[in-house]
Amino acid sequence: MAAHGIPRYTRLGEKTEEVRQQELHKIEKYRELDQSVRDKVAAQQYTPETLQKITELLTSNPEYYTVWNYRRQVLRSEFSRAASAGSEEATGGQIATLIKDDLMFLIPLLRSFPKCYWIWNYRTWLLDEAKRLLPVPTARKFWQEELALVGKMLSLDSRNFHGWGYRLFVVETLRELRSEELEEKDMTRTEFEYAKKMIGANLSNFSAWHYRTKLIQRLLRENSASDEERRKMLDDELDLIHRALCDPYDQSLWFYHQNLMCTFDPSVAGQTLAPNLSDSERLDYLRREIEEIQEMLDGAEDCKYIYQALIDCTMLSWKVEGREPSGEPKTQVLGWLSELKKLDPLRHQRWLDFEQSLCR
Amino acid sequence: MSLTSGPANAAGAQSNLNLSVERHVDYIKNLDSRRDELEYWLTEHLRLNGVYWGLTALHLLGRPETLPREETINFVLSCQRENGGFGAAPGHDAHMLYTVSAVQILVMLDAVDELEKRGLGGKEKVGTFIAELQDKESGAFMGDEWGERDTRFLYGAFNALSLLGLLDTVDVSKAVSYIQSCENLDGGYGIQPGAESHAGQVFTCVGALTIAGRLDLVNRDRLGGWLSERQVDNGGLNGRPEKLPDACYSWWVGASLAMIDRLHWIDGGKLATFILRCQDSEAGGIGDRPGSMVDVFHTHFAIAGLSLLKFDGVKEIDPAYCLPKTITMKCLS
Repeated sequence: MAAHGIPRYTRLGEKTEEVRQQELHKIEKYRELDQSVRDKVAAQQYTPETLQKITELLTSNPEYYTVWNYRRQVLRSEFSRAASAGSEEATGGQIATLIKDDLMFLIPLLRSFPKCYWIWNYRTWLLDEAKRLLPVPTARKFWQEELALVGKMLSLDSRNFHGWGYRLFVVETLRELRSEELEEKDMTRTEFEYAKKMIGANLSNFSAWHYRTKLIQRLLRENSASDEERRKMLDDELDLIHRALCDPYDQSLWFYHQNLMCTFDPSVAGQTLAPNLSDSERLDYLRREIEEIQEMLDGAEDCKYIYQALIDCTMLSWKVEGREPSGEPKTQVLGWLSELKKLDPLRHQRWLDFEQSLCR
Repeated sequence: MSLTSGPANAAGAQSNLNLSVERHVDYIKNLDSRRDELEYWLTEHLRLNGVYWGLTALHLLGRPETLPREETINFVLSCQRENGGFGAAPGHDAHMLYTVSAVQILVMLDAVDELEKRGLGGKEKVGTFIAELQDKESGAFMGDEWGERDTRFLYGAFNALSLLGLLDTVDVSKAVSYIQSCENLDGGYGIQPGAESHAGQVFTCVGALTIAGRLDLVNRDRLGGWLSERQVDNGGLNGRPEKLPDACYSWWVGASLAMIDRLHWIDGGKLATFILRCQDSEAGGIGDRPGSMVDVFHTHFAIAGLSLLKFDGVKEIDPAYCLPKTITMKCLS
């Protein structure tokens, strides 16, 4: 869409006449191609030749959403031609080839324009057509290959927003299309391993941590996990994040930590991996958490996230106990807060607001 | 602009850099005279959005009359399709994104009645196009007949329909539940249920909730904390943890903070300075980062960001609608 991260060219005066003429020529050719595609579609000439022209146009401009719609129309027409052609098997084969070829056409485009919404949309549509028109085993094969593709895309850009959203969608569809011998929880387990691998490759990848949060809950639900098993999972996650936080300056890790702390917040615990902890269990966890985080301060006294987490955990324990801030713990919170105000000048007003709410 | 003084505070932000108002006005005014550049033709799919971005920026810069009114209205109407929706340019397919821009432009030009006089079936027809894109089961909205779902479209639908006085033609409470299903434990919102929080999506969800009068559903402190952490050391804002800052997030993050009354949780002076450093102060226009190519999208959202900060010389913007405040006050009263 808009120019992102493209360096500003230095203006070297007016363009030469030759360069200007070349550009005008390009414009003329582009507009001719555009017009010819529009004419053919208006005349409902849904032919391989039209498809070829559409391919050319989209290759020079993949953001041209209307032309993606034209492509869908041509493909739909080819699908129905295939359907009237012969046996069910021959029809399926033809449609599968059409879809396969079109998926191939998209690969280099996605590689060059990984953030273009319209290409991803079109690809989704195409795969949905496979689901709609082909026998389940054939459709499943397409979607399975898609999972491998999105894995490749994410290894090139591990934070690509479209890539992660797309992965979610592909996995959802594969759940629908799965064969009977494959259990749903096996898929969740595989995805969980994937998120783990991505986190292992880069601890700062919050997209992968986020995915992990969602998968853990799904895993526990699918296994009808007992409260005991859930607590075990929680303990493992706390262990993991504490080990990861040997680099306490990484924001992504602290957001995952914050997600885990929600388990001890009575008002949102219902949405977390261990919803049924008792209040005294919550307080025990929080007490240990505060000790653990305080130890992180050693050598990282300038790390604002640590103070923030200490305050959050302390406030949370007051919330569980249902009591107002007072005495020694309150003094301690005010101490951490004064460090935060020094270390985090950008959000100075946020900390002042908090201070005010504390001293009301 | 005078040098920054006093404590860091978002409101009334100042910077020692100037906003090159004249250059930006000229840049926007000349966008349509660049037909001898290939880029002009390759971006035809953004034309109607471009008019909205340019026109809003001009309003904020105090030059609402810069684009010829009649010609602009004619162009907007020439983009309408038989189904009542609008495409990006004449002959392009109708889509939610352009339909919303069309409505916003007509509202800014006080020309919604042109839909009755010259459009196809008046504003009701436009409303019907939008309303039919709602998925009756989930409450979500699609972008067009091909079915892509994204909280951007839900916000767009609420924005345009409420400006037209037709919000009651859709199932608002179902849409609100859908937004809630996109909420994450960090207080933010994703593009669909289960997706990671993203500042752009936070804007669309909080904007839709503001329009629906349901801000009570937002965890303001939690979300405000997440949003304020978008500010990085150079003053700019990013869209997700550990990502690079970008001038357009001045809007997505800034407007979200403004809607939940937490805009003062970031350093407005430093943000203003970052935005001003993204300007091309010779040729006009603003890019995503200092030294980047400019475009009208970033020019608009950067100026809108300055407006939120009450930057000297920039008119006030409505954070829920991304339109000049005077316009929404008049339209929605």
